[in-house]
Amino acid sequence: MKMKKVASLFLTATIAASALAGCSTGNGGGKSADGKTTIEFWAAPNPTQQVYWKEMAEEFEKENPKIDVKVSPIKESPTSEASIQSAIAGKSAPTMSENINRGFAAQLAESKALVPLNEIEGWDKLLKNRNMTDTVKTWKFADDNQYVMPIYSNPMLFGWRIDILKEVGVNEIPKTYSEVLDAVNKLKDKHPDKYLWAKGDLADPTAWKRWFDFFMLYDAASGGNNFIEGDKFVAEDEAGLNVLKFMGDLQKEDALLTKQATDPFESGLGIFTDLGPWTFSYWEEKFPEMKYNETFGLALPPVPDGADTENVNTFADTKGIVIYASATEEERKAAMEFMNFVYSNPENDLKWLETTKLPPARDDLSSNDSFKAFFDKNPELKPYADAVPNAIPSIDNAKYNELQTHIGRYAVNPVVKGEVDPEKGWKEMKKAIKEELKK
Amino acid sequence: MMKRNGTGWLFASPYLLYAVLFFAIPLIWSMYLSFTDWNLISPVYYFKGFDNFIEAVKHPGVQAAFFVTFKFMAAFVPMVIVSSLAVALVIHGLPKFKGLFLIGFFLPYLASGVVSSLIVKGLLSHNSAFNVFLRKFGIEIDWLSTPLSALLVVAAIIAWKFTGYYALILTAGFESINKDVYEAAAIDGVTPSQSFWKITLPLLYPAIFTVLILSIGVSFGIFTEVYQLTGGGPNYATNTWQMEIFKQAFTNLSAGYASAVAIIASVVTFASILVIRKLLEMWGKRNGWV
Repeated sequence: MKMKKVASLFLTATIAASALAGCSTGNGGGKSADGKTTIEFWAAPNPTQQVYWKEMAEEFEKENPKIDVKVSPIKESPTSEASIQSAIAGKSAPTMSENINRGFAAQLAESKALVPLNEIEGWDKLLKNRNMTDTVKTWKFADDNQYVMPIYSNPMLFGWRIDILKEVGVNEIPKTYSEVLDAVNKLKDKHPDKYLWAKGDLADPTAWKRWFDFFMLYDAASGGNNFIEGDKFVAEDEAGLNVLKFMGDLQKEDALLTKQATDPFESGLGIFTDLGPWTFSYWEEKFPEMKYNETFGLALPPVPDGADTENVNTFADTKGIVIYASATEEERKAAMEFMNFVYSNPENDLKWLETTKLPPARDDLSSNDSFKAFFDKNPELKPYADAVPNAIPSIDNAKYNELQTHIGRYAVNPVVKGEVDPEKGWKEMKKAIKEELKK
Repeated sequence: MMKRNGTGWLFASPYLLYAVLFFAIPLIWSMYLSFTDWNLISPVYYFKGFDNFIEAVKHPGVQAAFFVTFKFMAAFVPMVIVSSLAVALVIHGLPKFKGLFLIGFFLPYLASGVVSSLIVKGLLSHNSAFNVFLRKFGIEIDWLSTPLSALLVVAAIIAWKFTGYYALILTAGFESINKDVYEAAAIDGVTPSQSFWKITLPLLYPAIFTVLILSIGVSFGIFTEVYQLTGGGPNYATNTWQMEIFKQAFTNLSAGYASAVAIIASVVTFASILVIRKLLEMWGKRNGWV
């Protein structure tokens, strides 16, 4: 009887152990008996980036037979951030991964889940070889460390429907708030059913959506002044208020459509929108009538009256590579060697640019001859390359989600709906953010 | 006797193992987490006692989730009961191909919530043919940004999804009613209306009871449609328990706090279903249906 109990317990334990082993994805990295170091690299799940990184890994392995780079897509169940979080919690994080924004990196860094890249040998060489010393400065975190190697720095620009502007008598893309309001009046006179900015996201408090409205305008209005520094709210009141007043003025002029609309910019329902370079491949396929400098133009964000209209800052949609703290010393070293291999040759950045259309985070993007032919062939991407030095990455606070949700909930969303006046919105937002930072 | 027990345990063991691995262990783990400030990845974390629970009940997102669930229930349950009853009535009356039609109505249940939400989002966009048509009559509705309409849209999508499934249960209920009862009633001069209220409804009550309990349970687990269509907005008007737990756990990386919210949600769900079930039983008994 006792034997039976023992046997059944053993059987149950074996089944449980097998089932649990099946649940594990394993790290896959490490040093094998033959002295080979294997690093696991999670790349963005889109097919183009997968192809790019697999190609890079193969070329690297040819020159470095002692290192294996296993490239696999980041799972998106339910989001890539959640997958990374689960992998770290389950002790199955890869050696390194790409597609990490600065806010998420701040969350991971606060939890000591990332390695400061500046502490790994080869970091300075990487910055020098890739010519990214200036670009990477804005990526420094509050603790003076660099946790992310920015792959691309994509300065967000505003697209304008210049064909419609011309039709209503506006021949130059407006650069200041007054010029924008003037264009709105002319638009509404001729097309009362059209809007300046048709974007449902303006009324949505989801944190990341503020990158593509509020932060573009705030970075421009404040000359790139920080919003949060470490745990301090340092935003420039005047710039923030100017942005909200501008949004409030547009709302009063019926220039904002905050309902969800299908392809509002392409259909001409709205004549102004935030645009990233990824849009152009989509347009080539779905909206071939969208031609640069014919139907649409690109510009830096409009600024308050009297501000400098030439050297304007904007939000940088940037993502990069991180190395996880669970990686061994050998793996960290191998990961840095892999990055050095990829980024010491501008041809690899060119390949990236050709594949993804996302501007590599380099100081010399608009001056390096390696990229000249590409930009000559793709003139709509040149303004993005030119704006790289003026692009400001997202805030590096681990609570960026809560903080940016407050910007939406208390300021942007109610102002664009005409529910609160800009002063009250800014004041309530500030109060909520300060309370959040104290927690 | 012992041998019989052993065989029983052996057959039950896959489910027991599954229940232990995927229900019991996560539940205990979640309870433990709810008393900490852990985000699952930090090497350091602290015990907070009941702070997470106190913070949660004060949080507007959690308060909204509590009320939104009952609002969803008030919209979704009548919608799905009426539509599934109508479908079941029509199918029950068909002379042929009942199975085929039932499969047809069941298909939305298998459809991806993401896909159906995206289709609805397109249909309700400002420049969709539907809204352009409505504007011709002066009707302008901001479907997903107005609290009431956003809630009704989500409830309607879920009702559409579950109608076929519940119609299947109700049709089985209809089919189990002995036709002799209707014939006897007809001889006694019962009108069609009396037949429905006095015969069909009482005899169908066990099936309706099942559908009611299932649909109430669904109200507590809404996520995909809300995530895709409204993100819990406008102003928390569609913020469900699952949405709040997701935001806290995976967006704000507050696993400890999210676990506390999940436990509160479980208690509310359990207690609500228990109370509603008792009320339904009492209602059935009072009318002599059970």
